[in-house]
Amino acid sequence: MLKKQIRVMLLLSFLLLSFGLTIQAATPKDVLVVAQIAEPKSMDPATVTAVNDFRILMNVYDGLVRYRSGTLEVEPGLAESWTISDDGKVYTFSLRQGIKFHDGSPFNAEAVKFNFDRMLVKDHPYAETGPFPLSFFFSAIKETTVVDEYTVRFRMDDPYAPLLSNLAYPTGLIISPEAVKKHGKDVGRNPAGTGPYQFREWKSNQHVILDRNGSYWDGQAGLKSVVFRPITDANTRVAEMLSGGIDMMVEVPPDNVATFSSNTSYALHEQAGPHLWFLILNLKEGPLQDKRVRQALNYAINKQALVENVLQNTATVASGPTPAAFSWAYNDALQPYPYDPAKARELVKAAGAEGATLTFYVTEGGSGMLDPVPMGTAIQADLKAIGLNVKIETYEWNTFLGKVNPGLEGKADMAEMAWMTNDPDTLPFLALRTSAWPDQGGFNSGYYSNPQVDELLEQARVSTSQTVRAALYKEMQRIVHDDAPWVFVANWKQNAVTGSNVQNFRLEPSFLLLLHKVSKN
Amino acid sequence: MVEKNTPALEFWQRLNRNRLSTVGLLMLGLIFVLCLITPWLPLPDPDATDLANRLKTPLTSNHLLGTDELGRDLLSRLLWGTRVSLVVGFVATLAAALVGSLIGLVSGYFQGWIDSGLMRGVDTLMAFPYMLLALAIVAAFGPGLLNALFAIAIVNVPFFARTVRGATISLVQREFVLAARLGGASHFGVLWRELLPNILPVIVVTISTTAGWMILETAGLSFLGLGAQPPTADLGSMLGEGRKLLFTAPHVSTLPGLVILILVISLNLLGDGVRDVLDPRLRGGALRSPQPRTEVLSAELGSAQVRSTEKLVIRNLTTELFQQGQAKPLVRNVDFELRPGECLGLVGESGCGKSVTALSLAALAASPPLRIASGTVELDGEDILRLPLRLLQDIRGKRVSYIFQDPLTTLNPVLTIGEQLIQVIRRHQSLSSRASYTEALHLLSRVRIPSPETRMKAYPHQLSGGMRQRVCIAIALANRPEVLIADEPTTALDVTIQAEILSLLNDLRKTTLKDSQTGKKTGLSVLFITHDLGVVSTICEKVAVMYAGQIVEFGETKSILESPQHPYTQALLACTPRLGAKHKVLGGIPGTPPPPGSYPSGCGFLDRCKVASVKCQDPVHLMQLSSNRQVRCVLKQGANA
Amino acid sequence: MLRYTIHRLLLTIPVLVGISVVVFLIMALIPGDPATAILGAFATPENATKLRAELGLDRPLIEQYFTWAGNLLSGDFGRSYALNRPVLDELLERLGPTLLLAGSAMCVCVLLGLIAGLLAAVKQYTWVDQGLTLFTLIGISAPSFWLGLMAVSLFTVQLGWLPASGMYTPYGDESLGDLLVHLLMPAVTLGLVASSVIARLTRTSMLEQLRQDYVRTARAKGERETAVVIRHAFRNALVGLIPVLGLQAGFVLGGAVYIETVFQWPGIGRMLVNAISTRDILLVQGGVMMVATIYVFFNLLADLIQHALDPRIQHSHG
Repeated sequence: MLKKQIRVMLLLSFLLLSFGLTIQAATPKDVLVVAQIAEPKSMDPATVTAVNDFRILMNVYDGLVRYRSGTLEVEPGLAESWTISDDGKVYTFSLRQGIKFHDGSPFNAEAVKFNFDRMLVKDHPYAETGPFPLSFFFSAIKETTVVDEYTVRFRMDDPYAPLLSNLAYPTGLIISPEAVKKHGKDVGRNPAGTGPYQFREWKSNQHVILDRNGSYWDGQAGLKSVVFRPITDANTRVAEMLSGGIDMMVEVPPDNVATFSSNTSYALHEQAGPHLWFLILNLKEGPLQDKRVRQALNYAINKQALVENVLQNTATVASGPTPAAFSWAYNDALQPYPYDPAKARELVKAAGAEGATLTFYVTEGGSGMLDPVPMGTAIQADLKAIGLNVKIETYEWNTFLGKVNPGLEGKADMAEMAWMTNDPDTLPFLALRTSAWPDQGGFNSGYYSNPQVDELLEQARVSTSQTVRAALYKEMQRIVHDDAPWVFVANWKQNAVTGSNVQNFRLEPSFLLLLHKVSKN
Repeated sequence: MVEKNTPALEFWQRLNRNRLSTVGLLMLGLIFVLCLITPWLPLPDPDATDLANRLKTPLTSNHLLGTDELGRDLLSRLLWGTRVSLVVGFVATLAAALVGSLIGLVSGYFQGWIDSGLMRGVDTLMAFPYMLLALAIVAAFGPGLLNALFAIAIVNVPFFARTVRGATISLVQREFVLAARLGGASHFGVLWRELLPNILPVIVVTISTTAGWMILETAGLSFLGLGAQPPTADLGSMLGEGRKLLFTAPHVSTLPGLVILILVISLNLLGDGVRDVLDPRLRGGALRSPQPRTEVLSAELGSAQVRSTEKLVIRNLTTELFQQGQAKPLVRNVDFELRPGECLGLVGESGCGKSVTALSLAALAASPPLRIASGTVELDGEDILRLPLRLLQDIRGKRVSYIFQDPLTTLNPVLTIGEQLIQVIRRHQSLSSRASYTEALHLLSRVRIPSPETRMKAYPHQLSGGMRQRVCIAIALANRPEVLIADEPTTALDVTIQAEILSLLNDLRKTTLKDSQTGKKTGLSVLFITHDLGVVSTICEKVAVMYAGQIVEFGETKSILESPQHPYTQALLACTPRLGAKHKVLGGIPGTPPPPGSYPSGCGFLDRCKVASVKCQDPVHLMQLSSNRQVRCVLKQGANA
Repeated sequence: MLRYTIHRLLLTIPVLVGISVVVFLIMALIPGDPATAILGAFATPENATKLRAELGLDRPLIEQYFTWAGNLLSGDFGRSYALNRPVLDELLERLGPTLLLAGSAMCVCVLLGLIAGLLAAVKQYTWVDQGLTLFTLIGISAPSFWLGLMAVSLFTVQLGWLPASGMYTPYGDESLGDLLVHLLMPAVTLGLVASSVIARLTRTSMLEQLRQDYVRTARAKGERETAVVIRHAFRNALVGLIPVLGLQAGFVLGGAVYIETVFQWPGIGRMLVNAISTRDILLVQGGVMMVATIYVFFNLLADLIQHALDPRIQHSHG
């Protein structure tokens, strides 16, 4: 009796299972499923900071200008053309005409002014829809004026060379003012831009769905819809890719790259970009005050082994503070510090720092941090080999930032860090100048200070000539390379895997994900 | 009495009786030894990286279990990691046990507002999703093994607090605690000297059953990167680090997972063993549940005699206790018969085998450990011991029914009287639910239960002992049985209630006789088991006296009471109060009966008998004194021969 | 019964208040603050201080607590800093998936656990019992997150039978079948561990009940063995198991944190882990309050069911 019931139950569950296998729904053919590394924070371009969010936003919005495909140089976007005054202080943009936001409201000079005023003018009626953490990209702009319906003008007190590049950055994407007015703070979940795809649905931790914008000014998108799925666990992303649950994944874990590159059902995409993975060193106290010890660290760490083994060639060895991807500003005369433990030991000995103990902040993950724990552990082992004891403390990303950004003084001797930027100015300006020490609102958490470098950076920022700027940046790199306030470790090659049926996809040096031209067959 | 100071030796012997826990102990021992000698094993430095040799598969030269993503030796890291995980798991368990037990003891001992205060606090902690609490604690104090340990300990405090509080409350009102308090001992003294030693087994059991769980939780935190800091290995963080290589180098995460599994399995096996030894409910050894029917050994068929007038014929019934390969007879070669409408008393001291005899009749003796070694029980000439279970079940409760001793435990506590009564009616009669309800009401009024409608809805615990026994009688009579076996039905009751029940039984027996509509003399046959000869005299026509698993005397009630032949019957009668012998001093029979199962081959009463002789050491046969009189005594043997 | 219910309901109030205080204090103690989290890698101390003032985090703790608790009572859970939307919206959106997962896991747990325990007890010391004992032993000894990983590795990557993660096929029809296919692995993984605990307890409890006198009575009544086991012994065993089921609900809700992470289930557990790491104070507080309330009421329910099932308990004690 009991037996019979069990048999029936087994049979039923088996039927249910096999029934289930056949009823799993399929994703339509012209819909692309992209695995994101995290849930987006918001779809309001002015309020977000993470590359993860940018990947969606770039397909919903346009900026006045954009990066030309495959480069970090700007080309017209919503603005057809622009002029810069001779003193470099006034930028005038003429806008494309007849474009409508996804919510039906018109795109014009007023809309542009609304976007920048919202971020920059303190008493703007919609200023409370912030905060706008990256508004400092545009803080040089003192005034935005509507010249006529399709002409807008930015006025600055001083020349600011990175402005165009910053306008192409996702913070410069233009959102519909009507949407902001209608939804207030919730506009981040009800976005309306002018981009190739328009927002359809956002279900927390499930997906963001974008549909093709039928009247896109730059030609219709190749896909009916795009689904962005947040899959925080790298392993699960790989499993989904392997089982065909998704069409595209970004940030493939290094050890899985080979799995995909050797299989013809997948296409592996790689693209070097302006990324730098480095160690911030504390110059204010302890053994790292001594330049010889700092150089010793640069010699002692086997960057080649890190890049080849831990990162499986998903990155290249970094030579200095400026990534090679900024080709015009990159000093190719500089060589990375070679792996030379003997020399490192000598330098440590000369500085009398043998057997010193260093506290090392390591994060568990985070934007651009690659494989921070294994990398930290390998670095620890390398330094042990030259007689330095490293004590690792790991922190989850936000805690980590909370500890590193206010400065390392009194807490740690070194910390992992990575930056992805759009202009050679950004990283050194925010993290190497004396006036960028944490107490002055910068990110120079290791307290590097060299008046020469400060001067070079200030000059490069106000110069309107790229040649002049390039020379200044190259000189800066030489000095910083020698001073070694950081350990320069790696420049990441961004990667992504798609199914082999995904067409016309390429990664951009800007780390942005553009799906406008992508199609699926 | 709760035993104190259980000798360590006995503990180990008991523990090892459970073979699985021995396995657990051995595995754990092996792991412990390996962990202890790890520093002296010829292993590579667990933290030495070798990037050129990363992710080697197991069985590569120099790396027995391969290497991880930084080229570190996995075997070495596993061993060192197990050390860390073990220490953290155990320290966390002990810390949780200490704090939790303290809260539980104080809370259970003082009760009142201290109790409610502490318990609300504990409830609060318990209501948190445990992993989130641990996460939040680690987030607040920063990552690191010590903080993870701290978090796991806090999360598990409520569990210990609740368990220990429960145990304390059950002890606080016990005599020895009250005595200590009345004797002026301080609160601390009572807690420390009286309560703690008695609670200790509970704490040890809880520790042993949670240690494995704690190791899992620590691994969980490390898995999320909140435990051990690099390069220190612990099993959880190794699993966490290896997880992203699941598809390219599965061994890096599979191996630590397996080690955790083995470690926790061995802890749990050991924990089960410790629990079995220390938990008072499980002390008798492993629980073994009785099967639907008593096991019957011999396949002997019914003697297929000429159909007699007897209702129930028991021949050569031997029931034995079978434990650890040894069979000890409890009932030895019992023969008797029961005529229709007759009431036979089965009398003897406790432990003489009369209850086992009664239960054997419908194969209800708990099996294991009991089993029927030989004999037949024929109901109207059919051997019911060897019937298929379904047919046997059709007889039970319909043709042969039982009344048991303790009416509280024999009724199902969670079903109403009505449900239990209707169940048995509908089991054997195809009646509608309405008809069976009416029948149940009728039965209740027949056993003289006042306002039966309300009683139908009552639960057993809501009735008095007498009422419950009436319900049991109603259940037994529900299907107009042919044979009623009453196993000491009045022993658990007050004297006045006893009398009521006896007169009820007597009346019912007679009414049943009248009820029978067939011409033949059928009617309710009763086997009445008791140790009280006084009771026998009021109800039984015949008496069988049992001693040491055998029937020692058999005959008409009157003749036995008036002229007992067996020395045991005589002794038994001598200590039964009788009307008309008011001032006689009643004494027990000197000595004790042989323990069940260790019966001598000769006369079982030998040691206590005043007239015993050498011949009594040989087996004694039951002698036929007259047509209706049998006795088992060498003295009578001589007289007859 | 009604009086008892009210009594128990009143008793949950101090527990819920306690939870609110504890969760508030923990979040206040956690270093790193929402300002840093909102501003991301570009948080400067200056900006953070400004933002903190805007968020009211510079006011005294007591004041913050009462403001929060007061708002909570009026149904205002505040606004999530990190998600930039009302906490309640987010919670309600995720409540369904979590209840679905935890509920199905509980079903798996109860069904598997009770049946396995029952079978093992009835078939004591046979291969059925030994097999089930081994199975449940592994169940309580294996880390659930590891089981989840292994399951994905086997059923998704190797065999391709089941989807690896999520709740629906992206852009699929969102049918019930699709949901079930996605639910199967997480619910079974989560329920399996809990069911092992239930199975072991059920077995012990059944063995204890099967030795009781009333079981002998039931057999003496001629009841079929199925009825003896189910209607009598199991019914009694269940009375003792109900509170354990209540506790297991807490276990399942807690374990959901891992399982939701491994299977990317869009539930509250995973949200809370993220929220703790982004220091999204109001979201953590609201989420924990909600989960704890569910748990408290589940236990209350278990308690009430036990009272209904066990007539022996008097309806007066606390």
